[in-house]
Amino acid sequence: MIPPTSRLGASLAPGASAGAPPISAAIALPSTGSADAQGGDFLALLQARGLYHSAGQHFAPSSVNVSAPAAPAPFVPTQATTILAFKFAEGVLIAGDRRATAGNTIVYERADKVLEIDRHSVMAIAGVPATAWEMARVLEHSFQYYRRTQLQEMSVGGKVRALSKLLRDNFGLVMQGVGAVVPIFATYDAAADHGVTQENGARAHDPNSGRLYFYDVMGANFEVADFAATGSGSPAVRGVLYYEDTWGAKPLLAYARDEALTLALKALDTAADADSATGGVDRHGRIFPIIKIITRAGIETIADETLARLFREHRRATGGSLSGGSASNR
Amino acid sequence: MIEEPFRFVEAIANRREYIESQLATGSPIVALDYADGVLLFTVGRERQKLFEIYDRIALGAIGHPGDIERLRMTAIELASTEGFTRSAGDVSLRRMANYSLSPALKAAFEQVYGPPYLARLLFIELGAAPGQNTFLRVDYDGAIQSNGTSFSPSRLSYAVLSGTRPSTEAMETMLARRGDARASLQEALRVALEAWSLGFCMLDEEKVPENLPNPEQLRETAKTQLAQASIEAAVLEAHARSHATYRVLTDPELQPLLSQLTAADKNA
Repeated sequence: MIPPTSRLGASLAPGASAGAPPISAAIALPSTGSADAQGGDFLALLQARGLYHSAGQHFAPSSVNVSAPAAPAPFVPTQATTILAFKFAEGVLIAGDRRATAGNTIVYERADKVLEIDRHSVMAIAGVPATAWEMARVLEHSFQYYRRTQLQEMSVGGKVRALSKLLRDNFGLVMQGVGAVVPIFATYDAAADHGVTQENGARAHDPNSGRLYFYDVMGANFEVADFAATGSGSPAVRGVLYYEDTWGAKPLLAYARDEALTLALKALDTAADADSATGGVDRHGRIFPIIKIITRAGIETIADETLARLFREHRRATGGSLSGGSASNR
Repeated sequence: MIEEPFRFVEAIANRREYIESQLATGSPIVALDYADGVLLFTVGRERQKLFEIYDRIALGAIGHPGDIERLRMTAIELASTEGFTRSAGDVSLRRMANYSLSPALKAAFEQVYGPPYLARLLFIELGAAPGQNTFLRVDYDGAIQSNGTSFSPSRLSYAVLSGTRPSTEAMETMLARRGDARASLQEALRVALEAWSLGFCMLDEEKVPENLPNPEQLRETAKTQLAQASIEAAVLEAHARSHATYRVLTDPELQPLLSQLTAADKNA
């Protein structure tokens, strides 16, 4: 007979934090008691089971000093991509191109850098995919685990902080020159949305209930009121978004859905014009950016057909080639 | 005690009687297929009885809140760690119940010097296709009953959980006569409330009615009980937008059911 241990991945012995040794492996249910102390902390559960090691744990200051090379390796930012996000009338739009590069080589043209974490949260990543995707997985499980065990949704503040902690834990690796990730986190704070009264008297949701944060590699988080961009193509995007928000016909917060989508396409295309690491909008390969919209109802991924239509319509309207710049080789 | 076989049997029998008496007042829980997944339904007064376990797994439980909590937490931890280390597709209700929960419950029940779990659990797992949903009942002694094996041609499309055997059987008989497993959410809610009312009527063993209550009496029961308690209902949605399919039903979704009750009253 096969003993009933470790059949479901997890060990049947109590977690390390539970303290007392199991009387018998067969009767000891995992955790039971330790969970209260953890307060729905999924990372603590993984650590207790030996399933997760943050990079920081391996790099105590003394050991870094001993093994550090005479001249520390120069820090090379490797966020070769373009991610952008801004608030508009319905909520938050978050978009990313689909190119993955290693040095000068294009490795993949269909990478998904805009990752859904839960029903209202999206994390978009510039940086090393291996670390970023793992972070997304940990975050997704952390939020779900918290909701399921504590029987309430984690607050927006708690979610933002959870990502900070992951970045901070990863910083040891970043200092060794690998694994840097610079994410944008977007979510919709349904709990804070008390609605607003429109000019015609109708009630509508509060467009400011969308929440948008960008991070640095050490885990500091910055909330932004209007837009955020990260990755190697972000200077161009920031220029486009700032220009439209400040000097355009109306602020981004007043943009309707199609207007917001068109602007995202334009901004990514602009970024791709000068940045070889940004895929932009590839009309020939029919590869469109990933664009997601977060509203009160949840997250919606915009279909390629919609993006293709908007792109086509816009090109006609301007009467020119959107692939633009004279230096463009596309 | 253990070295004498008879006394062991006696001790187990006493223990069973004690646990059954503790569970006997538990408000029934009904789970049944509807057009877009599975509906979980109960009426309760003081605490939550329906829980989300993982992306496609839900739990309904009666018993002591402390014991339910330990088992619920165990199930969530097992599913979450498996889903994280492998993938969500590797989380299986059947494995969780057979290999982890059942042996632990049986051991706790038979170790007569230790406390048993005062809990009876109903797990529901949303299947890959309509009619493939799993309903699985785990009892305080580790016994498992489910709605058929994975290759069974005729899976049951419902399951109930109740404090007593007569109540359980009456509800199952009623639900077995229900033809349509593809009913709308509102129709499923109506059936669930009717089944719950029947289960509730049959709970009190002193006052079990000689004939099964008729629909009119069931409606009366529902009205009396709903005056002092509230409906708790959730669904596992086959076409949910996210991986997590569990969703608690909102007031607007429950309102038609309540209006129906009062409307029937006015007509009568």
